[in-house]
Amino acid sequence: MRSLSFRSFVILTGIAASLTLTGCSQQHIEAAVTADPKGSTIQLNYWTPFSGGDNLFMTEMVDQFNQEHEDIQVIQMNSRLDDYYSRLRTAILSGNAPDVAIIHASSLPQFVQNGYIEDLSGPAKEAGLDWNVYNKAGMKAVSFQGKPYAVPMDTHMLVMYYNKTFLEQAGVLDENGKPVLEAGEAGFTHFLKQIKQAVPSDVAPLAQPSTRIDSVWLWWSLYNQIQGGGKFYREDGTQTVLNNPAALKALNYVDSLYKNKLIPPNIPDAFKLFNEGKAAVLITGVWATGALEKNEQLSFGVVPLPTIYDKPAAWADSHTLAIPSQHDMPQEKREAAMIFMKWLAEHGAKWAEAGHIPSISAVMDTEAFQSLDYRSDYAAAANSVAFWPKHTKQHSFIEDIIRQFEKMIYDQQSPEQALQATEKQINQELSK
Amino acid sequence: MMTRLRRVQQWFKNLALARKLILVNVFLIVVPLGVIGAWSFSIFASKMEEQVGKYQLQMLKQVTLNIDTYMNELNRLSLMPYQYQEILDFLGTSRKPGEALSLQEIDDLNSFVSKVFLNGRVDIMGISLFGEHGASYVVLPESQYMTTYQLGGNTEWLEKAKGRFGQPTFITTHEVKSTSGTVYQVFSIARELRSFDSGDTLGYIVIDIDPAAVRKLLSQVSLGSKESLYMTDSAGDLVLRKEKTAIYPVIDGLSEEGVSHHTVDGKSLLVAHISSEVTGWTTVGVVPVSELMKDSLVVRNSIILIGGICIGLAVLISVFIAFRITSPLRMLRTLMRKVERGDLKVSFPVQQWDEVGQLGSAFNMMVSHLSELGYRLYETEIREKDAEIAALQSKINPHFLYNTLGSISMYAEVEGNREVVTMTNNLSRLLRYSLSGRKEIVTLRDELDHVQGYMTIQKMRYDDRIDFRLQVDESLYSCPVIPLMIQPIVENAINHGLDKGIGEGRIQLSCYQELGMLMIVVEDDGIGMTSEQLGAMRQRLDKIHDLGGTSGNGLMNVHRRIRLHYGEQYGLQLESMPFQGLKVILTMPIAYSMTG
Repeated sequence: MRSLSFRSFVILTGIAASLTLTGCSQQHIEAAVTADPKGSTIQLNYWTPFSGGDNLFMTEMVDQFNQEHEDIQVIQMNSRLDDYYSRLRTAILSGNAPDVAIIHASSLPQFVQNGYIEDLSGPAKEAGLDWNVYNKAGMKAVSFQGKPYAVPMDTHMLVMYYNKTFLEQAGVLDENGKPVLEAGEAGFTHFLKQIKQAVPSDVAPLAQPSTRIDSVWLWWSLYNQIQGGGKFYREDGTQTVLNNPAALKALNYVDSLYKNKLIPPNIPDAFKLFNEGKAAVLITGVWATGALEKNEQLSFGVVPLPTIYDKPAAWADSHTLAIPSQHDMPQEKREAAMIFMKWLAEHGAKWAEAGHIPSISAVMDTEAFQSLDYRSDYAAAANSVAFWPKHTKQHSFIEDIIRQFEKMIYDQQSPEQALQATEKQINQELSK
Repeated sequence: MMTRLRRVQQWFKNLALARKLILVNVFLIVVPLGVIGAWSFSIFASKMEEQVGKYQLQMLKQVTLNIDTYMNELNRLSLMPYQYQEILDFLGTSRKPGEALSLQEIDDLNSFVSKVFLNGRVDIMGISLFGEHGASYVVLPESQYMTTYQLGGNTEWLEKAKGRFGQPTFITTHEVKSTSGTVYQVFSIARELRSFDSGDTLGYIVIDIDPAAVRKLLSQVSLGSKESLYMTDSAGDLVLRKEKTAIYPVIDGLSEEGVSHHTVDGKSLLVAHISSEVTGWTTVGVVPVSELMKDSLVVRNSIILIGGICIGLAVLISVFIAFRITSPLRMLRTLMRKVERGDLKVSFPVQQWDEVGQLGSAFNMMVSHLSELGYRLYETEIREKDAEIAALQSKINPHFLYNTLGSISMYAEVEGNREVVTMTNNLSRLLRYSLSGRKEIVTLRDELDHVQGYMTIQKMRYDDRIDFRLQVDESLYSCPVIPLMIQPIVENAINHGLDKGIGEGRIQLSCYQELGMLMIVVEDDGIGMTSEQLGAMRQRLDKIHDLGGTSGNGLMNVHRRIRLHYGEQYGLQLESMPFQGLKVILTMPIAYSMTG
């Protein structure tokens, strides 16, 4: 009797044990399935508007930063420049802003207004960021009422690229590989005409797109080369003064290049044309340098934008790094953003590979920067740059100018009409 | 087979009881526990696999749903051209390759593309519009628009997009190259655009998407290092694979949804898959069965470990119990061996009143009976020897004695001596009763006749100084008794009661029935016994079996015979007072003889 009851006890225990075991392990498995270790890395959303071949370098820099910083993970999101600001404005207004955004110096005023981006004086102090290392032009661009709202990353301006092969064919290349140019409008036109005669008919003497902002940059540069030119607003800022003889003079010359087919019509992508060896000269920003250097079949040179008028001047802008305001940005995220922004500026030598001029003066003395071709010329040219004036509506005014200039290029109006229409439109908006 | 079975059966039968118990217990513990363990483990393993399959399928459904949601968004995006008549008009125009666009067209197309970019997901990388008749507007990542792209360059997707009644086609990951030379991985949605008025195909819209977006959806699923998650298109080509997971070859022939087993490179895989109705892509989750078993192995080992411990404990306890139960039996066996060797002075300590206790007590009883029986046998043997000697002594022919006595009687008759005649005749009768027959049982009448014959002679010897009185219950005459039982008592009464006295002696013999017993009482009025003598006498009677059969005392002899014959509770009782005579009471059971 005793052994029987004991046996039943053993069996019951066995059943209980095995059931408990299976129960336990099932839980264990579910736990194993759902367990997903998530690191404590801070994720930074980083928005960029690069579309000129320089994005490649930015991607490399972001990758390098992520490798060097285990606790910070930067996720870059690149958009077309055409849509970028529209997207960024929407994101900020919908409380969906990225943690770090590239904002052109020319666009900064519209984001500084209403506190769309953060005043960085506080965070910079905490991050140990010294504003004195940045060049003066850069700091001037990012400062509003004496407060820095962004970290300047570079300066980029209009330069002239030329295909050495075509220039040699046209006999306008000297022994140093520099273009042979005579002064004034006539000199530059002659230069292009010489090329046009020498190169095949499908090769553009000067490549400029028929639409978009490029013609505006060229005009702004030339307008600034004229003594007394380069004025955009009246002293009090309530009205524009664009419709003036100097501006018209510059615009007339730009228009003449199109009219004389020195710039062929209907070019959607001038960079592509030059890169493919279908253009002798290209006037565009320094950012194309790195991408063109990657093209081994292309033998090209770069010089600062030629001085056609009284003094050297070239349109320039600056990429700056800003923190768009967010409703509840954690402090550690802001710190991480500052670390990232500081790092990017400090690694300007790498960014210079794309063609940009570093914002930190000291970087220009480094060997890494010095070893790059053309960049020292760029650095010199950076002394005579023409930024857009700081105005909160500058961005949309430029859009207005583009629309009017496109109409001019497509022969729908004269340069005079273009300037008149522009001035009218801008004044209308200014009076609002 | 049968013989072996029988041999095993026999072997088991011959096994010691304790071992038998242990064997049975172990069998009864190990088998059910083992069966339960194996059974629950197998159920657990299959349930787990089923659960994992279900879980995987559920997970895949979720992923597929997420991806479908994403794709549906793209799907809607690809419908946008239908809301812009100018785009449809552009696609319908017939153009030469590379033909320039008008400023208006550029404006329209650019604003349309911007709307798609802005209203769509951030991960749109490129948009291409192709007209049936040469119109094209292609925006690649990091590039300005192009009009030189022509249909037919990338025919595969075109073939797919054609003839689907305007339904979209998803094109698996492929590469596009930006103007600056950077190569981008994209996948695309392509849709045939048709004119409502003519019903003709106007052209196609292709939207390129960064696969990272879908990869991100896939990466939300957490997987083990040996597991894999990927998507294939309807042709079985890989679309996407979740990063940082194991890589298994694409498994063909999966349709709809389900969980199945596959063997790839000798590895058994649990494959869950689900097809999307939106994209037509199949999401496949792969878990190696060995990975599943890794978890269940832990369970199995725990079951075995705990089961082993339980069985071990149970076996230990059952061994202990088996030995505890059988130890009294083994002790009994040892005691029995002792008895076998003749040692009867053993006793089994009864501690519990179960079967074993009862057995032990019965054993004790048996041993005590055995020793008594042995004693009796011993005595009987001695008495038989005595009887033999007696028989030898009486080998003198009794007939010679009877004849001689008859002759004496006759001479006395002739001489006229009546006393001699009476004495001789009685003596002859006495001798005949004593010597002949050797009957085991006689009746009380025979006994009393014998006593009367004896008393006749004694009376003559003592010149009638003896007053012998007989008082018998008539009904007892036929009662069977053992022979020569009363006569020695009477003789003793004469010897001790009369011989030593002077004058007349009275002897009273009475037989009656009392309490179902036959009582024979012999009383004399002689000198009797002192209380010391009486005590000594009674003690001798009580310890009668210790005395052996050598005591010649008549009383003892009778007492012993009665006890031997009828049992301990019968026998002689003495009552006496000094100078008051002796009263001897014989008690024995009444048994009415069959013979009557």
